[in-house]
Amino acid sequence: MSKNNPVGKGASGDALFPAVRRLADRLILLLLLGGICLFILYPMLCILWRSLQGEGGLTGDMYGVVWEQYGRSLRNSVFTATCTSLLCTLFSTATALLISTGRGWRRALGMGLLLITMVSPPFVSALAYIQLYGRRGWITYRLLGLSWNPYNCWGVIWMQSLSFVPVNALFLIGMLSRMDRDSLMSARDLGAAPRDILRDVVLPLLRPGILVCVLLSFVRSIADFGTPVTIGGRFTTIASDIYLQLTGYSNLEKASAMNMFLLVPSVAAFFLYRWLMGKTGPVSGERAQQQRLQLSLSRCGAAGWLALVTGGLFFGMIGLQYVCIVATGFIQRTRGALSFTTQYLEELLEYNSETMVRSVIYALIVALVGTLFAMLFSYYIYRRRVRWNTFFDCLATLPYMLPGTCFGIGYILAFNHPPLKLTGTAIIVLANMLFKQLPTTTKICAATLSQIPEAQERAVRDLGGDQLNVMRDVIFPGLRPAFLSCFAYNFSSSMTTAGAVLFLIDPGHQLAVFKLFDAVYSGEYALASLMATFIIVIVLLVEGGVYLAMGRKERSHVS
Amino acid sequence: MYLELEHLDKRFGEKRVVRDLSLELAQGELLCILGASGCGKTTTLNMIGGFLTPDGGRILLDGQDITPIPPEQRPVTTVFQSYGLFPHMTVLENVTYGLKFRRLTGQQIRERGMSYLELVGLADRAQSRIQALSGGQQQRVALARSLAVEPKLCLLDEPFSNLDAALRTKMRHELKRLQRELGITMVFVTHDQEEALILADRIAVMEEGALAQLNTPEELYRRPATPSVARFLGVDELEWRQDGTVWKAIRTRGPI
Repeated sequence: MSKNNPVGKGASGDALFPAVRRLADRLILLLLLGGICLFILYPMLCILWRSLQGEGGLTGDMYGVVWEQYGRSLRNSVFTATCTSLLCTLFSTATALLISTGRGWRRALGMGLLLITMVSPPFVSALAYIQLYGRRGWITYRLLGLSWNPYNCWGVIWMQSLSFVPVNALFLIGMLSRMDRDSLMSARDLGAAPRDILRDVVLPLLRPGILVCVLLSFVRSIADFGTPVTIGGRFTTIASDIYLQLTGYSNLEKASAMNMFLLVPSVAAFFLYRWLMGKTGPVSGERAQQQRLQLSLSRCGAAGWLALVTGGLFFGMIGLQYVCIVATGFIQRTRGALSFTTQYLEELLEYNSETMVRSVIYALIVALVGTLFAMLFSYYIYRRRVRWNTFFDCLATLPYMLPGTCFGIGYILAFNHPPLKLTGTAIIVLANMLFKQLPTTTKICAATLSQIPEAQERAVRDLGGDQLNVMRDVIFPGLRPAFLSCFAYNFSSSMTTAGAVLFLIDPGHQLAVFKLFDAVYSGEYALASLMATFIIVIVLLVEGGVYLAMGRKERSHVS
Repeated sequence: MYLELEHLDKRFGEKRVVRDLSLELAQGELLCILGASGCGKTTTLNMIGGFLTPDGGRILLDGQDITPIPPEQRPVTTVFQSYGLFPHMTVLENVTYGLKFRRLTGQQIRERGMSYLELVGLADRAQSRIQALSGGQQQRVALARSLAVEPKLCLLDEPFSNLDAALRTKMRHELKRLQRELGITMVFVTHDQEEALILADRIAVMEEGALAQLNTPEELYRRPATPSVARFLGVDELEWRQDGTVWKAIRTRGPI
């Protein structure tokens, strides 16, 4: 419009160097897109390239070798993932129904347990499993006097099912709370008893969400190597074999080819998931506020009782798990007698405080830089719609589809020789965390961005501001809620996710989650328990802080 | 009388949202509960529908005390503001949903569903998905669904508030026609003075949870009981049908 309109110019000196500012804008964009190419596209191409290398140049031989040698593991993976996804979805649905229909302290306790499980590092359930049901387990050996071998595929399925519940359940709880209350009231109004409402309205409306849970649990189970490595015993899956190939034999070609096998179901599942998510949106925007589901499960017939019993079982097991974790860290057994001790805590503080502080610092760096990256990236891609935006959007989503091992190997292959020798440095670890979490943070920012009216942006331009002013005065303030969510997500993921980072970490610069894995693997259960408790407490504190910050924002909106 | 509300009271915490409300309604009548937002009209409707339990007073329908009866057993249906249609069912499945709980054969259910769809002019959309319908059509499905169970009383909670002005006018006349044809007793909640004057046999004006005036549109318009009722109506001129009911309400100045 009026390019030489002086209104709004000059006051801050912003318009003095328009050329410089335009250059800065380009530079930021270049940095973002360059980062995406270097840290997502390039490592993936490296895996593909390496998996196709044989003795005589390019060949698909390695795939044949893997298919023959690891057919059994592949079948194990599919079997485990199928069982886990079904069992986990049953638990998740029951839990979500139990919490959504519950009230008062029971609801609060349920949500609390879900939150704790959610922020728990991945090996916690395996750790508790060994403690409770292992050869010398509290329940199997000391209570029931059984002597059995707990290291088999059922343990893996059971533990994966328990630890994957929170994400699924929270997703379903969200769907239930958005469910159109008028639909439920109508059904009741027309004569439907609680049993009919659950069968005819609630479950059908929840169906796309339930399918999403099946899918996500399947993918997570396929990619999970921690659980089979720690409690699988002789039972191996393709993910745990990749781990062994890498750590035991350093066979990168084989590991790359094995990863390509993992990739196929993951990518397929991702596209199915995208398609399903299109169907889970709010059924009706009107009156869709957060409300309790008015349904008494005990009056819902067989399905209601199934939900009550399975949900109860889940909470019982989870509760027991955390009692066990905390107890293991502080209770000593000497000649059959139990006593309280701070000996392990002192050991932890003495030998591992450096590791813990480093973990928190890394997580804070990733949370800050990653959130900033996601905010800028989503602005350029979704708002400015820069050239090739769909392509870059797909690239940024790629890490979400990839199993953690895959992403880790890609980094090893890509950054272990000059000029990009990053292995052994902190940068490779930080970058891996940041880009692994980028798909989620970008989606959070994009959702918030879509609520900022474009008219605000145009107003800035119209009054004489440039793109940088738009970012500073409209986009960043508008993305404040997204900043908090992304920060919390980045922080807790960085503290608790082990997948890729395990391969990249330098033994001299360990992180808490790695140390935890080490401790579980080598049987130092007291240390592992304390480590886990420490991680959970830190993450809960940070999440609590973010929650408070959000609450204050909402309060100031009201007044 | 057919429907009697006797000294209804409802509190939400400290706030008394309905105070000592008494109303009577004859069979086949259409009553509008009119009031500004927050005056307790929807709360009253939810108590008649059984979704809220009154803290005091009782509700009689056709001589029977229905206060303790849960909504699924009350011979009362509600058309909700956002319709509450089931998005995973077809139009016909929606309309016949309530009939599943009656002692009817599949054949009877289908026939009755179709006859009510015909009544609202949507027989040709019986197999459509709900999402494929326009707002006005969804509104009609919701109405047909509530009427198909042949309730003793049909409640409507601002059912036209999601429609545009032209469609709203059309639906008002259609509702009036249906109500007359079927002779069904209705309670209609609205904050729109014009809507109430056009639709109602009688209007109950509510203010701060209490009944301010109950009368025919004509009487209400001619002799408002209080200055606040007169201000709220804010109508200058009415056009009448030949049978003496209101056809159009004209406002030259808005409510003050």
